[in-house]
Amino acid sequence: MKYLIALMLVSALAAQVQDRARPPDTPPVPDYRLPNVFETKLDNGLRVMLVEDNRFPLVTVRLGFLAGSRFDPAEIPGLSESVGAMLTEGTARRTSRQIAEELAAIGGQLNGVSSPDGLTLAGSALSESTPRLLDLLADVARNASFPEEEVALHKQNRKQSLLEQRSDPGYLAEEEATRAVFGSHPYAHIGPTMESIDRISRVTLAGFRDRLLAPNNATLILLGRLPSRDRTLELVRNAFGSWQSRELPAPPAPRFPEDRKQVILVDRPGSVQADIRIARRAVTRRDPDYFPLLAGHTVLGGGTSSRMFLEIREKKGYAYDAHSEFDAHRDAGIFGAVTQVRNEVIGDALDAVIKEMQRMGAERVPAGELSDVKNYLSGRFVLGLETQNGLANSLNMIGTMGLTTAYLENYTTRIRAVEPDQVQAAARKYVSPEKSAVVVVGDAAKIGETVKKLGEVRTVKPNP
Amino acid sequence: MKSLLVGLLPMLLTGAELSVPYEKHQLKNGMRVILSQDRAVPVVSVYMLYGVGARSEEKGRTGFAHLFEHMMFQGSKNAPKGMHFKLIESNGGSLNGSTHPDYTDYFQTLPSNKLPVALWLEADRMRGLDISQANLDNQKEAVKQERRLRVDNQPYFGAIIETWPELAFRNWHNSHSLIGSFEDLNAAGVADVVRFFKTYYAPNNAILAIVGDISIPETRKLVEDYFGAIPPQPQPKHPDLTEPAVTRGRAAVHRDPLAQVPGVVVGYPGPARRSPEYYALGMADVLLSGGDSSRLHQNLVKGRQSVVRFEANPGWPFQSASDYKDPNVYAVFLLHKPNFTGKQIADQVQEQMDRIAREGVEAAELERARTLLRSTRVQELQSSLRRATLLAQYELFDGRPEWITEELDRFTNVPAAEIQAVVRKYLAPEKRFTLEIVPAPKEAAK
Repeated sequence: MKYLIALMLVSALAAQVQDRARPPDTPPVPDYRLPNVFETKLDNGLRVMLVEDNRFPLVTVRLGFLAGSRFDPAEIPGLSESVGAMLTEGTARRTSRQIAEELAAIGGQLNGVSSPDGLTLAGSALSESTPRLLDLLADVARNASFPEEEVALHKQNRKQSLLEQRSDPGYLAEEEATRAVFGSHPYAHIGPTMESIDRISRVTLAGFRDRLLAPNNATLILLGRLPSRDRTLELVRNAFGSWQSRELPAPPAPRFPEDRKQVILVDRPGSVQADIRIARRAVTRRDPDYFPLLAGHTVLGGGTSSRMFLEIREKKGYAYDAHSEFDAHRDAGIFGAVTQVRNEVIGDALDAVIKEMQRMGAERVPAGELSDVKNYLSGRFVLGLETQNGLANSLNMIGTMGLTTAYLENYTTRIRAVEPDQVQAAARKYVSPEKSAVVVVGDAAKIGETVKKLGEVRTVKPNP
Repeated sequence: MKSLLVGLLPMLLTGAELSVPYEKHQLKNGMRVILSQDRAVPVVSVYMLYGVGARSEEKGRTGFAHLFEHMMFQGSKNAPKGMHFKLIESNGGSLNGSTHPDYTDYFQTLPSNKLPVALWLEADRMRGLDISQANLDNQKEAVKQERRLRVDNQPYFGAIIETWPELAFRNWHNSHSLIGSFEDLNAAGVADVVRFFKTYYAPNNAILAIVGDISIPETRKLVEDYFGAIPPQPQPKHPDLTEPAVTRGRAAVHRDPLAQVPGVVVGYPGPARRSPEYYALGMADVLLSGGDSSRLHQNLVKGRQSVVRFEANPGWPFQSASDYKDPNVYAVFLLHKPNFTGKQIADQVQEQMDRIAREGVEAAELERARTLLRSTRVQELQSSLRRATLLAQYELFDGRPEWITEELDRFTNVPAAEIQAVVRKYLAPEKRFTLEIVPAPKEAAK
C-alpha cells in the first residue's frame, strides 16, 4: 500500500515537471450523444420531433418546410425569402403589431428564414408560455394574410437592404460564384434582384405559401422544458391537427451544368482589396464522398490550423481571412475557397490559393494532419449540443435534407472512419481548381491585367 | 481550502428558477479565478480576461492593444507559433480573442476532458511570449489587412469605428481609433510589445473564468499548478477616462464612398455605470429598440416608414453595456431611406425620446420589456462561454460576478416614473450627438 502511494507521488511529480515543456496528454474527444428524440407523425403528415431539455426555462421551436429558394419561380428569385419574412407580418387573426407585442410578452421570437432547400419558422419563448408560442406559430404558418401595406413596405426595405448587400464585395463574389456553378438551376441565386422585388405581391406570396406550406411538407421540432409528453402532443394537435394536407409540386429537376473553368472579374472601382472566391459544385450529405470531402475541406480551409490560413495569412501575410466553405444542399453541394487580399499581391495570392487546392488532389493528407481534423470536426459537433438553438438547427437540417437522426448519431463515427485515400479522391473530384469558377471582385483598372493571366476573363459590372 | 466567496444564486424567473453557481478565489500572485460547474453537456469554456484595452494606448500607438492581441497567438516559450490554434482545434475546440476599449479577452471552448490543454496554453503565454521582429512584422500585415477588410473596404465601418468616437468623446483615450492608423502600426516596435506585455499581461491584471463540465477541486489544483508560479508585476495604472461635461450637442457628416444606403448615428452621454439611472436607461433602451414591438421599430420602420433597420445600446458600437466601462454613450445607428435626410431621421428618433419624456410608459409595454429582457438573459446563459464571459466581466468592472443573475432584477425593478425621468434628463435634444453617413459613391476610395 505504501509502495503504491509512493509510486503515485512520483508519477504525479513527473507529470508536473512535464507540464511546462509539453502540452498535457488528454483522453480522446468524447462521442456525441444525441439526446432522446421522440418522433411521431400527425394524420395530416406533419412530422413531429420532441426533445426534453430541462436545463433552462426555455422552449425552442422550428417548423421547417421543404420550400426554400429552389422553389422560387424563375422570374421571382427571392420569393421564398420574402414569404418567410412576411409570414409574421399579419394573419387573419392578428396584425403585424399584435404579433410583435404578443411575442415580446412571452419573451419570444419568431422569424421566417429561407435557405436553398428550406423555409423555416424559427422561434423560442420562456417555457411557461409554450401554448401561446404554438398558437402564434400555427397562426403565422397557416393564416398569413400578406397585408397590402406590409407587402409594400417590405419591398421598399428589401430594395434598400439589397443595395446595402451589394455594397459588400464578399456578397458580390458569392453571388457570381454561385451563379457560375449552378447555371440555370435555382440554387444559382442567393438573393432577389431589383426586378424580382417588383414582382412580389400578395398574389405571388400567397401562391407560394398555398403551394408549399402544408403539413405533409413540414417537420415540427419542439425542444426545451416541455409539458408532459401527452400534454405537449395535445397542444401540437390543437394547433396543427386540423391543417389539411395537400398535393405537393415536384422540386426542380437536379440538372446542373458541367463543371468548367471560368474566370469572372466583378469590377468594383475604388476597392482597396480584391475578394477571391474559387468555387465548384460538390456533393450532398447522402453522397459517400461527403465525409471525405468535409475532412478535405477542413484540411484546406477550415479553422485557424488549416493550410490556407497558415499559408495565406500566417506565412505570407496576404490576408486577414483565408478559408474554404462547403455547403451541402439537398440535391447538390458547393465548395469554395475564399480570401480577401490587398491589390498589390493579387497575382501571388491567386497562385497560392490555387496551389493549395491542387495539392489536395495531388497528394495524400498526412495521417497526423487528418487525425487533427477529425478531432476538430468531432469536437465542434459535440459543442453544438450546448444550446437549444444548436440542437434545434441540427434536427431541422436533417428534416430539410431528408435524413434521419441516425445521421447525427453516427456523425463522429463516420468522420473518424475517413481514410487519406478517400480524401484525396474526393478532393480531386470537387476541390481541384482546373474546372472551377474563379471570381475576383475588385478594381478592374488595378487588378484586371493580373487576373487575365488565369485565362479568358469575363468582366461583370455589378447591378445596383 | 475555503473559497473567498461561494455563490449559489437562485433567482425567480417568472416562476422558473435559474442559477449560475460559482466560486471565486485568488492565487498568491493576484490572479483571480472563477469556477462554475455545469455537468449537463461535456463541454468547458476557458475565458481569460486582461484588464487592458484600447483606451490604455498611448499617443502615436493607436491600434496597439489590438496588434498585441494578435501577438498573443504568435507563440510562447513552449508553444511555438501556430501551436495554440493547432492544439485547440485538434482537440475539438474553438478559440478566439478580442480587443475592447477596457479589456482584452482570449477564450476557448472545448470538450471538457480537454481542459488541461487550454490551461497549459494560457499559462505558457502568460509566462512569456515569443516576441520577435519577424512575428511582429507578419502580424502588422495581418492587422493592416484586417483594417482593409473591415474598415477601408466596407461601408459604414470607418464612420462607426473612427468618426463616431471622435464626435462622442473629447478625451483622447476615449476618442482615438481602436483599430489604429497604418502610421502608428508601422511605428510599433519590439520594445513596445515587450513593455506592454510586462505591464499589463501579468497574473494580477488577469481574471480566469472556467465554466462547464468540470470538477471544482481538480480544476483549482490544475489552475494552481499551471499559473501559481507566474510572478506578479506592479499593478498597472489606468488612464484617466474622464470626459468634460457635455453642455451642447454636436453634429458631423461622414461622406462614405462605399455606402449605398444613407445612415445616421444618434447618441447621448449616459449615466454612470451601476447607478440607478443606468438601470433606468437600460430599460428605456429596451422600450426604444428591443425587438419588433419596440417604439423605434413600430414608429420608424413601420409608421413613418423612414428607417430600414437599426441597432442601439448603451456602449454602442460594442456588443453590450456589460463590456464597456464609463464613460458610456447611449447610441442608435439607423440605415434609412434616401428620401429622408439624416437630420430628419435624427429628429424622428428624438421625437420618440420626447414622447417617453412627456407621456411616460404604459404598464403593459413596460411588462413586455421586462419579460423580453429576462428571456434574453436566459437565452445567453445557455452558452458556457457567455457565462464565463459575464462572470469575468462583472468581476473586472464591479468585483461582483454574482451580478450575472442578480443584476437582471435591478433592470426589471425600475419603476416607470424613473424611466421617464432618465429619458428626460439624458436623452434630451440639447445633449445629442448626430453623425450623418452620406453615400458618396462618385469619390473613389484611396
